[in-house]
Amino acid sequence: MWWRRSKAERRDNDDAGASIKAPVSPSAGAPRFLAPDVLAGISSLELLARTVVEGFIAGLHRSPFTGFSTEFAEYRQYQPGDDLRYLDWRLYGRTDRYFIKKYRADTNTQCHVLIDTSASMRYGTGVVSKLQYAQFLAAAMAHLVARQQDSIGLIAFDEQMRVHIPAHNRTGHMRTIYGHLERLEPGGETRLAKMLHDTAERLTRRGILILISDMYDDPEEIFPALRHLRFRGNDVIVFHVLDRNEIDFNFVDQMVLLEDSETAEQMPVLPEVFADGYRAKINNHLTALRELAAANHVDYELITTDQPLDRALFAFLSRRTRK
Amino acid sequence: MSFLNPIFLLGLAALAAPVLVHLVRRTRARRVEFPTLMFVRQVPQRTIRRKKLHNLLLLLLRCLALLLVVLAFTRPFFSGSSAAETSKLERATVILLDASFSMRHAARFDDARRRADALVSEARDGEQIALISFDHGYTIDSRFTADQGKLRAALSAVKAGWGGTDYEQALRAAETLFREVNAGGMKRILMISDFQATGWNTADAPYRLGGDLQLALIEVGEVASPNLAVTEVNARALIFTQKYTDKLSARVANFSDDARARVAIDFSINDQTIEKREISIDARGTTTVEFAGFNVGEGINRGVIAVSGGNNDGGDFDPDNRFHFTLRRQPPSKALIVESASRGGGQSFYLRSALTTGENLPFVWTIKTSGQIDPDEIDECRLIILNDAGALSNTLAEKLRRHVEVGRALVIAAGRLTDATDFNRQLAGVAPATLGEPVQAGRGEEILISEVKTDHPVFEIFRGNGRLAAARFTGYHRSQPVPNSSVIARFEDGSPALIEATAGTKGKVLLFTSTLDASWTDLPLTSLYLPFVQQIVRYVGERETVSYQTIGQSFTAPVSADGTPPAVDTPGGTRLHERTLTHTGELIVTASEPGFYRLRYPEQPTFIAANLEGKESDFAKLNLGEFSSAVTAAGGAPVTGAVEDAKLQNEEIEARQRIWWPLLIVAAMLFVAEGLIARRTKMAKMIG
Repeated sequence: MWWRRSKAERRDNDDAGASIKAPVSPSAGAPRFLAPDVLAGISSLELLARTVVEGFIAGLHRSPFTGFSTEFAEYRQYQPGDDLRYLDWRLYGRTDRYFIKKYRADTNTQCHVLIDTSASMRYGTGVVSKLQYAQFLAAAMAHLVARQQDSIGLIAFDEQMRVHIPAHNRTGHMRTIYGHLERLEPGGETRLAKMLHDTAERLTRRGILILISDMYDDPEEIFPALRHLRFRGNDVIVFHVLDRNEIDFNFVDQMVLLEDSETAEQMPVLPEVFADGYRAKINNHLTALRELAAANHVDYELITTDQPLDRALFAFLSRRTRK
Repeated sequence: MSFLNPIFLLGLAALAAPVLVHLVRRTRARRVEFPTLMFVRQVPQRTIRRKKLHNLLLLLLRCLALLLVVLAFTRPFFSGSSAAETSKLERATVILLDASFSMRHAARFDDARRRADALVSEARDGEQIALISFDHGYTIDSRFTADQGKLRAALSAVKAGWGGTDYEQALRAAETLFREVNAGGMKRILMISDFQATGWNTADAPYRLGGDLQLALIEVGEVASPNLAVTEVNARALIFTQKYTDKLSARVANFSDDARARVAIDFSINDQTIEKREISIDARGTTTVEFAGFNVGEGINRGVIAVSGGNNDGGDFDPDNRFHFTLRRQPPSKALIVESASRGGGQSFYLRSALTTGENLPFVWTIKTSGQIDPDEIDECRLIILNDAGALSNTLAEKLRRHVEVGRALVIAAGRLTDATDFNRQLAGVAPATLGEPVQAGRGEEILISEVKTDHPVFEIFRGNGRLAAARFTGYHRSQPVPNSSVIARFEDGSPALIEATAGTKGKVLLFTSTLDASWTDLPLTSLYLPFVQQIVRYVGERETVSYQTIGQSFTAPVSADGTPPAVDTPGGTRLHERTLTHTGELIVTASEPGFYRLRYPEQPTFIAANLEGKESDFAKLNLGEFSSAVTAAGGAPVTGAVEDAKLQNEEIEARQRIWWPLLIVAAMLFVAEGLIARRTKMAKMIG
């Protein structure tokens, strides 16, 4: 009965939206049906993608991003923070009210979702693992892209390429994408830089590349590979998916024996003594990734698996709007 | 140093326990799969080895903590603080003597004074004693002195008053007074009262005396005292017609455990009986008696509701059986509605209909266009409404300015005929806001009032129902409130809808930034309109009047025609000689006895009614144990009758032995520190 609950919740959200004047940011007041723990209960990835995207777009009625959807062109009252370029001055002349005018964006792009399936993606302390979250995200992105009549392809990899479905927008193609996404299993080591170089060589037509990975590789090696993709004319969006505990390093035990998911190497650790040092290191890594992404004109978004999917969708849509 | 419980010294054997604590408890590390160790490897491993210092510190902490616990249980005390020595210490005492109105009952106050006198006689040599009498306030009758003659003189001068009781106020006063004396030994408060339950407000956060203060409660008066009283009268103080059309209601309470039948109620005005009733009241119940349709003479009228009789006459208390109030009848004042000539009449149709509907109306209304007004007419009007009146002549604007400066009222409604530039020029310094351009809603759109100060008198009748939001507006003026003005309602976009300001000394000005007709709003077509405009008019146009004061409240007596305040006679007939004046020369009088205060103006005297505090008539007793526990730091017990010195001395010795308490606290802190250090040390061991 998940869909009934979703509809009801959606209705609640719409009602609430009617009285909210301030635009909703991705982090605040996120629709609950996009939460990972709710999505984990949906068995079909296709259904999940549709739920997420349709619910997300319905939620956009009260967001500043409304104007960028091809389906929801309309007028709405100006709210602080809106881009003044979209202000309808004629309507202002007639009504003495500020309205934001939304216009249709016309796209016909090829888009590939690159999903990291290495063993480290198996990790998860919440309801969903990183790979499951990546699957949800990939499915939602794919649905969103297909909904705009763009072509969508899928590449899954660990130390080698496991799945490659070329981009299409024909009927039934989405079923193929969902089918392969559902069957992905974590395993193997991460060879992110190598795989990105391979992909750059493999894709002949330029388009949008959505990379979903935990990015456990040397940033100094990853970004030359991403530059390679950029050089081939692709727009690259990186969704860096991490579990909250990978950032916080929060263990209740006094002592734990950590085992590397990919190499099975073990190391005893006192979390209380060790946590600060670990957090400093991973924060350095994240900062390096963010800075290198900015320097290389790559859109980078860090997402933890406890966050609702709409944050990623917002990031993607805002990226598409600028193109 | 000695110990009260030396047997607990055996507990020192427990010091062996810390040694055992160091030997046990090892935990195994849990295996956890982690995505990558690439960052874990980069963190330098902090291996903690042989932290002997930690171990030694731990051992010391544990031993010390146990030692302190054992010591605390032995109850150590210093021999210098023996009871014999304590008795030689200085002692300071504050006697709190209840002089509230309930103490007038039977012989309560005489009894209380006798008890106080006895306490003074029992004072130790050199004991400092102060005397405070209290009701809802307090009077310091004697500051700290060891002179018993002086204290007795002060005591004999104290008389029971007419005020209600406030025990907290009295205790605060006593605690403050102790700052004046440097008593190294004991500080005690002796409260002598009939301990009425109504004197202690349990709903408030309880007040607690300082830990060094002892409290003894000395009760006087019989346990149960039945009483019948008129506790409240609701009357409209100012009326404009001969017949009193509203309901005048009186609440009669039976503060006894027996029902009362055939209780006679006598309502009189100016000593002439208007109506008599006979009622019955349940035990511990109240009954409301209503009167209506009687005639009221011109000017000030003295009303009294008196209760008497009943089947249980014994023990009733007379002073609270009469309730006094005043009814002032005066002719309605002149008021003016100014409208624009350009609308050709009818503009004030709704306004006039709303303001002339009902009875006991305070104003007689005239409607004129701004061009028709003789500026001298303004001086005769108490209230003027500018109903979207358009441009005003400079003479009229100047008259309006003087009108509000002398304390009269002005209401302005700004619609489409009000030009913002003219308005801001002509009414600068008078209007509560400067007007901006008019705002018109788009086609099919409406603007609502979304923010209202419901505690404001204009809106208090709409409180809780939000009905004002039902009115829809299609236009209003933007406005910028001037300093010292107050916005009391706003439209949904935040623009002020109703703004208030005071001009001169008392003149009130209200600005409504939309219309009071139907041109910009459907408000006149709703049921809200009549109460809304009538509330506005009553608020700005009527002087605040009350039909009675309660003992302890102050009222002002305005100056007479010759500019001097009137002579004032108390209800008992004595002339008041205290002359406290306001900055405008009005006399301030504090009501201190029930009845009618006579204000002797040369032209005609007037009266102010004063009544006892209704709750003071309830003689139900306070639970002394509960009260004492609530207000004393250690939760003391009530002491009835004479105060026993020995008891207080024991309490003092007890205070000297409270050294066990800090010992326990330090021990607890040591245990916490030990726990933290032990945890770190153990983890270090596991890693090592």
